[in-house]
Amino acid sequence: MSTESAAVSTATAPTAPRVADSGAPRAASGRPAGASGGTGSGTAGTDAKAGTPRPRKPRRDTLAGYVFLSPWLIGFIGLTAGPMLFSLYLSFTSYNIFSSPEWIGLGNFERMMNDQKFWGSVQITLLYVLVGTPIKLAAALGVAMLLNARNRGTGFFRSAFYAPSLIGASVSIAIVWRAMFSTDGPVDNTLNIFGIDIGGWVGIPALVLPMMILLAVWQFGAPMVIFLAGLKGVPNELYEAASVDGAGPWRKFRSVTLPMLSSVIFFNLLLEMIHAFQIFASAYIIGSGTGGPAGATNYYTVYLYTRAFRDGQLGYASAMAWVLLLAVGVIAFIMFRTSNRWVHYGGDSR
Amino acid sequence: MFHSRIKRFGLAAAAIAAVSALALTGCSGTSGDSGGGSYDPDEKVTLTFTWWGNDDRADRYGQLIEKFNEEYPNITIEGSFTDFPSYWEKRQTEAAGGGLPDVWQFSDTYLRQYGQPGMLLDLAQVSDYVDTSTFEDALLGTGQLDGTQFSLPTGYSAWSVFQNDDLLGEVGVAPYEGGTSPEEYDDWMKSVTDASGGTVYGGTDVTQRIQNFELLLRQEGGNLFTEDGELGFDEDQLRDFWESGAAVRDGVGVPQSKLEEITPTSGLGAKLTASEMTWSNFLGGYLAETGDATLSMVAPPTTDDSAKDLYRQAGLQMAISKTSKHPEAAAIFLDYVVNSPEAGEIFGTTLGFPASSSKLEGAVLEGADKQVADYLDSVADRIGDAPPVPVVGYGSIEQTFWDLGKSLGLGAISVDDAVTQFFDEADVILAG
Repeated sequence: MSTESAAVSTATAPTAPRVADSGAPRAASGRPAGASGGTGSGTAGTDAKAGTPRPRKPRRDTLAGYVFLSPWLIGFIGLTAGPMLFSLYLSFTSYNIFSSPEWIGLGNFERMMNDQKFWGSVQITLLYVLVGTPIKLAAALGVAMLLNARNRGTGFFRSAFYAPSLIGASVSIAIVWRAMFSTDGPVDNTLNIFGIDIGGWVGIPALVLPMMILLAVWQFGAPMVIFLAGLKGVPNELYEAASVDGAGPWRKFRSVTLPMLSSVIFFNLLLEMIHAFQIFASAYIIGSGTGGPAGATNYYTVYLYTRAFRDGQLGYASAMAWVLLLAVGVIAFIMFRTSNRWVHYGGDSR
Repeated sequence: MFHSRIKRFGLAAAAIAAVSALALTGCSGTSGDSGGGSYDPDEKVTLTFTWWGNDDRADRYGQLIEKFNEEYPNITIEGSFTDFPSYWEKRQTEAAGGGLPDVWQFSDTYLRQYGQPGMLLDLAQVSDYVDTSTFEDALLGTGQLDGTQFSLPTGYSAWSVFQNDDLLGEVGVAPYEGGTSPEEYDDWMKSVTDASGGTVYGGTDVTQRIQNFELLLRQEGGNLFTEDGELGFDEDQLRDFWESGAAVRDGVGVPQSKLEEITPTSGLGAKLTASEMTWSNFLGGYLAETGDATLSMVAPPTTDDSAKDLYRQAGLQMAISKTSKHPEAAAIFLDYVVNSPEAGEIFGTTLGFPASSSKLEGAVLEGADKQVADYLDSVADRIGDAPPVPVVGYGSIEQTFWDLGKSLGLGAISVDDAVTQFFDEADVILAG
């Protein structure tokens, strides 16, 4: 900052000796342009001329950068950051769109504490995340290892297993899922063959969570592809060395594969967990938008949506949105802090 | 379906954008200059008009607009429609952003919500163009808020018991006679369930629906809400009501888990049950769902034969936005929809049984329309005054009641907990 203002002042008053003095040490401190210039007061002048574009040029580049970024920036500020800040404000108000927001301080958060339906939705959402995510990742890793073990047809199977994760969150799949788990649907009929007659899962609150988890696990394609890439990066020498030491498949998996994949596992775990918290479309469709049966599909985001757009309680819904953001943030933070105990990156000595 | 998801998310985004735009502009609501003018037949005017409904209704509105233009060629009507839930989500965002349509299909459920903040035109300001003399006072009252007429009903319906005569013939049980005590209705349902051996159920647990609770309260001389918008019942009354459904929930009525699988179709629509209680204007919808089964309608059970517990529910209305730039032209169109014999001829009873005498004159009542008319005649002595205008958030209260009723049916909640949850929820909604 100080050197920059000095350069500007040299440019405006090149003849002033005091300024020339102040320019000289800078020329001496390794400026090729200044060093190759003339002597006396002229030095200060050329120094200044040669020097001024230098700080300015990056600034012009920066400006150009922002101009090119502007479509995204306008979108980000206007459609993401602005509404987010506004929703932060709304979370401290009672607001129904029709009348202007009314400041109620922490009222919404207090109400949340005593809202049984809220805690019900927190409970099923946490169960879904904590049970569903590990199963999904285990399935992804298992299939990735099978695909890694053979070469022929890998491309086909990789695509085939990946496909569900592209369409899984769609409304049509949710409808298909609903039909599959209804009475006399494929799942019911298959179970009947084995003498298990529990009827359709859709109408039984206790079976809706397993059904939703199965839907999530079925979409294991995205983490699987990442695992597969990670597995290709594990050097074969390590397995060979382990074999020489007499390690069996399980030992190799535990002592070579898992540590070498730990960074990929961490990445997948973080991403899939955050993703799971955001379950909406499938739960909304399977529960017909009511969170039913008996609140079994009333996941956090579904509850938030109904509060905002069915009940017109936008203040409360905004407060819920911020609580979710903070909760996911805290969980991600904890995962990062504990990760150095079990995640090893390439070149790590441990 | 996929499309509707996009619409929802788009809507959410639009809501957020509208809200932030509102904040940026300092929330200046435009107060349209309305009333006092007169309609110039030579001026070309375009009105926006919107409604909820299905293709059938869209088709009928198309015919009506055509007829309307024969008479008023200079008023162009731009119509659009959606389904009921997204209809109100959309109006909500328009109310915030200031783009409500000129004329729109309206519901008394939302009268307070839109009437109180002054978003609807007081129809007295365009009284030269709207004839209200064709309506009975009681029906006019369904569109009034504190004496101001904001909307007019297109038609009305009454609560009723529907039954599927085909199914009853198959299981060999005589149809429910109607108007008995609730216990006798329960016994009749049990006889159907027993006779069919579990393939067809007598009905659905009636305590799920707030309308049945309302009926009971009215039999006892009360209402769901007081004139001041407070709850018109206490926790004990609700507890007793829900407990009275225990026997039906236990093997008589259709199991809730089966109903969950077929939503949004109801038990009667899916031919799982032989009877169901609902609004009389649903006949057309049920006929479509059941593939033209023989359906009949009888009076709901009652605890008091002499009580005027039923009422004419005028849920479907027409209103004009305060912001409309052409209130006179809008009023002419509104009048045409609610009053003209042409509307009666085109719509029959599909917008409810015609509320206006001039519209009724044009209606040709045959088939299903005749059935609805006969039913309304048959319960004429039981029809009393309509309840007070629904409170703001009545839609949410109704849905909460239903959700809790279903949870009871699934055995996921005790009656005591359900009562507590209902009152907690109602407190929040009524506190605004």
